Amino acid sequence: MELEALQTALPDIQQLGANLVAISPQLGRYGRSVHRRLNLGFDVLTDLELQLAAQFGLVFVLPDYLKTVYLQFGNKLDEFHGENAFRLPMPARYVVDQQSVIRRANVSPDYTRRPQPGETISAPEELTKAGG
Amino acid sequence: MRLQQKLDDFKAQFESGGPPHNAPKSIIEVFHRATEELRQSGLAERALKNGDRAPAFILNNQDGNSISSTELLAKGPLVITFFRGHW
Repeated sequence: MELEALQTALPDIQQLGANLVAISPQLGRYGRSVHRRLNLGFDVLTDLELQLAAQFGLVFVLPDYLKTVYLQFGNKLDEFHGENAFRLPMPARYVVDQQSVIRRANVSPDYTRRPQPGETISAPEELTKAGG
Repeated sequence: MRLQQKLDDFKAQFESGGPPHNAPKSIIEVFHRATEELRQSGLAERALKNGDRAPAFILNNQDGNSISSTELLAKGPLVITFFRGHW
C-alpha cells in the first residue's frame, strides 16, 4: 500500500527536482516482481543482508515466536533475503538534502503506521525553496 | 483515500478475524506483542534522525543496475523509503 501511495505522489516529488527510491532486503527477483506488478516509476533497490538498513539503525531480529508465525504464513524471509537471520528493517522514510544531511525522518516501530506521502513531499519542497 | 486510513482499514479488517484472512486471535496477539516489544526496545529512537548524515550507498535496482546515492544526490534531494517487502 505504501509503494502504491508513493507512486501516486511520484510526479509531485519529481516536479520538486527530487528522486525517490524504495529499499528492502528482498533479493532482486522479488524486487523485480513487485516493481512490475505495481508498475512503479521509481527504483526498488535490494539491500543485501540489510547492510544499509543497519547503518540507518533500522534492523531488528524477529523473536522466535514471531518467526514461527511468519513461517506458518509462508513468509520465508530466509529465501526472500538470502540469509537465515530472519531480520527486518523498521519501516522508515527519509528525506536527504544534497549535502547528504537528513532533513526529515519517519521511523515506525509499528509496521501499521506510515507517514502520509504529502508529509514527505513537503520536505523537498522546503529544501527547494531554501535553494538547497 | 489517505494512506494511513487504508492501513487502518486493512488492520481493522485483519483483526476482525473474518475473511479473507481469517486470522486467529492468537496470531493477532503475537503481532501485537512483537510490535509492543519493538516499541519498548527504543530502537526507533536510536535510528538516524533529522540532522544526521545519511550513509552513501550503491545498491542494485530491479533490473540489476547499480544505483548510487551520490549520483542521485547530485541531481536533487532524495526520498528514501525502507520497506520490509511485498509478500
